[in-house]
Parts: sequence; C-alpha cells; structure tokens
Amino acid sequence: MSRRTITLLAVAAASALLLAGCAPAAGPATSAPAAGGTLTYATGFGEPDCLDPHNGGNMPQALVGTNFLESLFSQDADGAIVPWLATAGTPSADGLTWDITLRDDVSFSDGTPFDAAAVKANIEQIQDPATASSTGILALGKVQSVEVVDPTTARFHLSEPDSALLESLAQTWLAMESPAGLARGLEANCEAPIGTGPFIVDSWTKQDSITLVRNENYNSAPAGAAHEGPAYLDTIVWRFIPDSATRFAALQSGQVDVIDEMQPDNVVAADSSDQFDVLTGALPGASIRLELNSGFAPFDDERVRKAFVHSADVNPGIQSLFFGTAERSYSVLSSSTPYGASFPDDFTIDTDLANQLLDEAGWTGRDSEGYRTKDGQRLVVDFPVSTNQSIPAEQSLFEQIQATTKEVGFDVELHPLDLSSWYSALGSWDFGVTSAIYTKNSPDVLRILYHSSNIVPAPSGYHANNAHVSIPELDSLLTEAGETTDDAQRASLYEQAQKILSDGAYVLPLYDHLQKIGYSTKVHGLSLLPTLQIPYFGDVWVQQ
Amino acid sequence: MSLPTSVIAGGASAHERDAHGEPAEAARAGVNISGLRRGHGVRAFFGALGVAQWIAVGFLLLLLVAALLPSLLAPGDPLAIDPGDAFRAPGWGHPFGTDESGRDVYTRVVHGTAPSLVIGVSATTIGILLALVFGTAAALGGRVVDFGVSRFLEVLFAFPGLLLALLVITVYGPGIVTSTIAVGLATAPGYARIIRSQTRAVASSAYVEAAVVLGKSRGRILARHILPNAVAPVFVLVTLGVGQAIVWAAALSYLGLGAEPPAAEWGAMLFAGKNYVTTAWWMTFFPGLAIVLSAAATTVLGRALQRRSLR
Repeated sequence: MSRRTITLLAVAAASALLLAGCAPAAGPATSAPAAGGTLTYATGFGEPDCLDPHNGGNMPQALVGTNFLESLFSQDADGAIVPWLATAGTPSADGLTWDITLRDDVSFSDGTPFDAAAVKANIEQIQDPATASSTGILALGKVQSVEVVDPTTARFHLSEPDSALLESLAQTWLAMESPAGLARGLEANCEAPIGTGPFIVDSWTKQDSITLVRNENYNSAPAGAAHEGPAYLDTIVWRFIPDSATRFAALQSGQVDVIDEMQPDNVVAADSSDQFDVLTGALPGASIRLELNSGFAPFDDERVRKAFVHSADVNPGIQSLFFGTAERSYSVLSSSTPYGASFPDDFTIDTDLANQLLDEAGWTGRDSEGYRTKDGQRLVVDFPVSTNQSIPAEQSLFEQIQATTKEVGFDVELHPLDLSSWYSALGSWDFGVTSAIYTKNSPDVLRILYHSSNIVPAPSGYHANNAHVSIPELDSLLTEAGETTDDAQRASLYEQAQKILSDGAYVLPLYDHLQKIGYSTKVHGLSLLPTLQIPYFGDVWVQQ
Repeated sequence: MSLPTSVIAGGASAHERDAHGEPAEAARAGVNISGLRRGHGVRAFFGALGVAQWIAVGFLLLLLVAALLPSLLAPGDPLAIDPGDAFRAPGWGHPFGTDESGRDVYTRVVHGTAPSLVIGVSATTIGILLALVFGTAAALGGRVVDFGVSRFLEVLFAFPGLLLALLVITVYGPGIVTSTIAVGLATAPGYARIIRSQTRAVASSAYVEAAVVLGKSRGRILARHILPNAVAPVFVLVTLGVGQAIVWAAALSYLGLGAEPPAAEWGAMLFAGKNYVTTAWWMTFFPGLAIVLSAAATTVLGRALQRRSLR
C-alpha cells in the first residue's frame, strides 16, 4: 500500500468519523452514503491500448471510459433515449438533418465549456482517419458534417436518414471530450482523455492499473442516477487481472472491491454468500455467436456451413458449463436489443443431415483419424479464440463444439490467442469460424455486422463483417431498416434480414453476452447504465 | 537405460575423480577407463538400489507403458465429451473424476503421458546435442573459438532458462514443437559448459596423447576416446534434466504456449482445471500429481546414479 493510499485512507477514516459524529445516533451506519475512500476495480476485459474510446472502440475502453467521459444521450431501462449532455434531438421532416440541443451549464474537467463547437470537434475527430476509429466511425457512417448553429445547438447533416443516430450518440465510443484535450494530439489524448464525467484520469501505469480521482466540479449525472453533484469516492484504482479465477480470488480476499467477467461457477458462489453480490445484465447488440467465414473454403459452400450448424451440439454444454446463468439463444441479436428474431428450427442437431450435406459437397473421403477429406485435403476449420474476450467456460463450450462436429468429420482447430494476434488472424481472413463480441445499443448492429460494405476494414484495420456476408438483398433490407422510423416496418425488415442469415447458416447463435459484475457488500450504490450495461460509479460509496 | 548406467558406472566422471587423485593416475598411465567393468557396473548399480529407487524405477516403467500403450491402462477416448456428466467427483466409473466437459480425467492423465514424456525426453536430447556441438567446439577449437563460444554461453546463462524458452516461443509462435525446441535450447548452455570442461580434461589425458602418438586420425580420437569419456558424467545430469524438462514443458502448456486445447497434456490440463480449483479440485490435482511424481522419479534415479558415479 503506497503512502498516498494510506494518507487517503486516513483522511477517509477521519471524515467517516466526523460524519458518524454528525449523523443522528439512531440511524444505522449503512443508510447514508459516506464520502471518501478508494475503490479497487479488477477488469477481465483487458487493458486498452488507448484510453480514448474514439480510437478503435472496444469494451475495455468503454468500461473505464464511462468513468471520465459522458455522452450526448443515454437510455433508460426500456431502451428509450433520454437526454444527458444533450437536452433533445429533433429530426427534420426528410430525416436528413438533426438538431441536437445541449446543456449550457456543463464544463469539461479542464475547464473548457461544453458547447456545440465541442460536439463538432468530437465528431470530426472520430471521422478523421488518423484517429483510427472503428466503432465510432461505423456508427457515424451516415453523418456528413456537424454545423454549429449556436453554442447550445449542433446540427447534424446526414447523407441518408438514420433511425439509430441518437442510440449511436449514446455510446461511450462517441462520448464527448474536451476540444482542448483533443488538440493535444492522439498520443497525449490516449494517455488521459478529458471529459465531463464524475472522475478524472490521474495516472496510468501500463500493465498494472489506471488511477482515477474525483471530479470536484461534476454536475451532469445521467438520468436514473441516485444523486446529483460530485461522486462520493475519492479514488478508483482500475486494475487488470486477466485470469478469472485470480480475479474472483482477489475479490474474496478483499484485495479488490468489484470485478467483471465472472465465471459462471463464481457467480453461483458469490450469489450464495452474504459477503458478495452480483449485478447482471445482457449486453445489447449481437449475442455471443459463431461467425462462419463464408468468403473462403470450406465455409464458402452453404452445405458445409449447414453441416457445421447441424452438428455443433451446444445445448448440453450451456446447461452444464454455465450453471443456469446463461440460456441458449437462437437469435443473432441480444435479448436486450429490440427486433431480435429466433429461428430454433434452423439449428436442430441432425448428424444424418450433416453427413448427407458433406457428402453432397464432395467431402466424401475419410482419413485415418476419421476426418473428412476432399482431393486429399482435410476438412480443417481454424478457430482463433480471443482469450481476452471469452471466459474459460466459453472456451470449454468451443471445445465441445469441436468434439461434436468431429463426429461428422470436421477438424476444428482451436487457437487461443491474445487480443492483438486474434485481431491479426481476423484481419487476414485466416480463419474458418470465430466468435467476436459486438456491443451496440441498437438493432442497427446487424447492418454493421452483415452489410457487405463492412467486409472492407475500418481505419483501425478491423472488419466487422467477419462472416464475410455479401448478399445484395440483405444489404438493401438492412439499409432500409436503418432509415425507417416506423416500428412495424423496422420489425419486419429486421426479421427478414435475420431469416436470410439463419437460412444461409452464416451464424450460429449461442447465448446472450452477459455483463456479470461481482462486488463486495461493502460497496453501495453500484448500478449498470442501461445503454451498454456498464457499471456507474458516480453514486458508489464504500462502507468504512 | 543400460547404456548411460554402464558408461557412468564404469567410465565414471574423470573430472570428479581427478580430485581424488587415483583415476587421474590411471589416466596418466594411459588407461582408457571407459568401457571397463561395463556389465559389472549395471549389476552393481541395480544391486545398490534402495526402496525409493525401486519405486522410482517401477513408476518410470509404468509411465513407459502409459506412454507407449495408453489404451492398455485406459481404453477410453481422452477427448470424448459428455456434458451431462461434467464436474463428477472421483468415484465409481471415474476414478479421477470428470472435467468441465465430462471428459474422464483418469483417461486424460494416462493419455497425457506420451506428450509430456516425449516433450521432456526430446527437449533434453536437443539440449544435449546442442551442448555437444558447443562444448566440444569450445574445448577443442582453439583459443579464439573457445573464447567466442564461452562468452556466447555466458550470455545465454544470463537469461533464466524458462525466460529463454519464452523468448523462443515469442519469436516462433506457440505449439508443442516450438516449446520442445525452446526447452531444449534453454537447457543447452548448462550442459555445454560441463561438456567443455570434461572434454578439455580428457583431451589432455595420457591415453589421448598415446592415441595421438600411435598416429590415429583426429576424427577417430574424438569419436573413440574423447567423446565417450567426456559425455559420461552428463548422462547423470540428463536423468535429472528429463524431470526438469517435463516440468518446464508443463509450465509452458500451463501458460497456453504448448499443447493446444483440448489436448490431453498434463500442463494444459492444469491450465484448464485452474478455473475450477475451488469447486473441482480433481481437475488439477491428478495431472499435477502425475507431473510431480514423474519429475520426482527421474530425480530419485538421477541422484542414485550421481552417488554411484561419485563413489
């Protein structure tokens, strides 16, 4: 424990004593939030390369970034858009311009006022190829420019109507940063982005932790927050513990107060203990699913894809590995994202059918190990697994898929990779099947994942369309759905689109991606922001 | 087994015995001590085994059977899954329990013997072969070569062995083959240094001088007189080294750098089991026990050999 931490603890203890002295003697000590203290958070999502979520744009950045950055909009528990840094968003009749009105009383933590010019600077920074954005730039695909009408009104000019614009703007990957901070250049901004959030980046020790300190001038709590004004905690220490068993052990021993990406057996253990609690929520966007690379052999043949889908038996594994914490999904979309359609009949287990399909596709030979062959080539399916983005139970499920598809002759080769090796395997299309997370708070995630234009990599080098789906009919359905605001029409268009994906066996849905946060019962006021199911620490206080 | 024991028992370590004076005299007298009392040495060695050594020999024989004919001990398929039977504690039908996918841990431990032993033995072989090249080159190649090779070995020595192995894997990518080569490379400097000093001692011995005087060719002297005598003491270290190499190979697999899932390999099984160490201890306990016992057995045997050669 550093001297600094000890001092902080001493101050915290002293203030707690003072508060206790002031509080009515009868009240229980836990009822009133106590200011001060340090909270240690251990994440299993991995360490970001850059703390600015405009650069790249992944879950590790969003998780830590939500503490110091805020967005124009937020969502309530039902997914409805609610104001945050913006007060309202109004489209024109043709849907091609949106007037976003802004709060006039918010400043960034460096003192720069938050205004329409700041919004314009942020959108332009995300769209600048030099920023190497992937999530943000895809979400802003239809935004042509931002016009500063007056300090509290920013006008977005679109190339086509975008029914998901406000949802996009609610994501942390499009959060608002100080223009003065952005002007420091990408590298400095990566080290410590400056936002309007309840905390400020104090320091970042690579491969160890990020230290966040309270923003004393904070006044922009999101809708649903328990209180306005500065946070209670003095400091958050954001640690990286990639191993899930170690992470849970650190929680149990009191070294850390909050952990994420819990193993299912640990969720069960924590739930049954009075020292720990668990917060869960289904991350919006795509479900956890296998994407079959339809651009290259062997999955460029629909019959081979169908054989794979009909032989990969996942239900028994989901039951035994997840201890009742996960349910099988037959939808490409998360259960927390509207317009998801399920087609269980396309995913029945039928080894006879699978064998017949493989025979028809010409994979008729069998080698000494029982794998199918064609022209002397074995039916190999390379499966790069990102060890950062999947918990061990999920990797065990992949092993079971390997075992069950082997029965019809697939040689699935699992390659556990660190995040950057995994990105490069995907970037070079060097895989047969993979599982990639895509979190987005709108069904428009379907356009990002399966529109043929996203076979081309984003500036960051990542192509979201990992299944290499290129179907003109699907493209037009997704484009049209993204432009309409009529609910019934959107639902029908998205259902047709999902049926095409299901019929062509491009995707094998597994289950919802659950955010599983475990925390000590000493931690009070923890909640998940509904937009991306990210924990919000503005209301959190620690019982001393 | 018989070759190293006999060589060691009979040939002894010229280096060690120099200190006692007697064998050095024998060397001065021009007697090539390798090959003497060969058959006698084996009998003497096994005659002197204690209980612990016999247990070690028995266990190593069991490992050999498990490695060569795993189906004899465990007829099942180590990769066969049965999700409905996952996390079964050790008991009837599953003596070592089942893992998270319902695979039988006993079958996997038995089938994991071959890869673990093959990695251990071949890594040590690679280490010894490299060490032979470097060690004899340094000893016989003249001052410049000796200086170069010795400094190079010292540089390698500066890295802890496992770190050197990690370096190799980082450059050439993970997998069984690279991790075997990596462990072999990492052990080479230690062996090379011993071979160098042994070779130097043997090269200056009287029987080598005699061979030179008799006009034997350099190659023949190297092959018949120098190498057998210089390498003999290294075999003791090899026996100790195999155990070490098994542990290192398991360590690399544990780090996800060796065998890929769901291969039945002890280190990889430890890796998969560690997530459930609090709820399903048998997933880590049995492969861990296999690693500990095989390393212990080779060490016990190696120590016995070492004592023998010192006597």
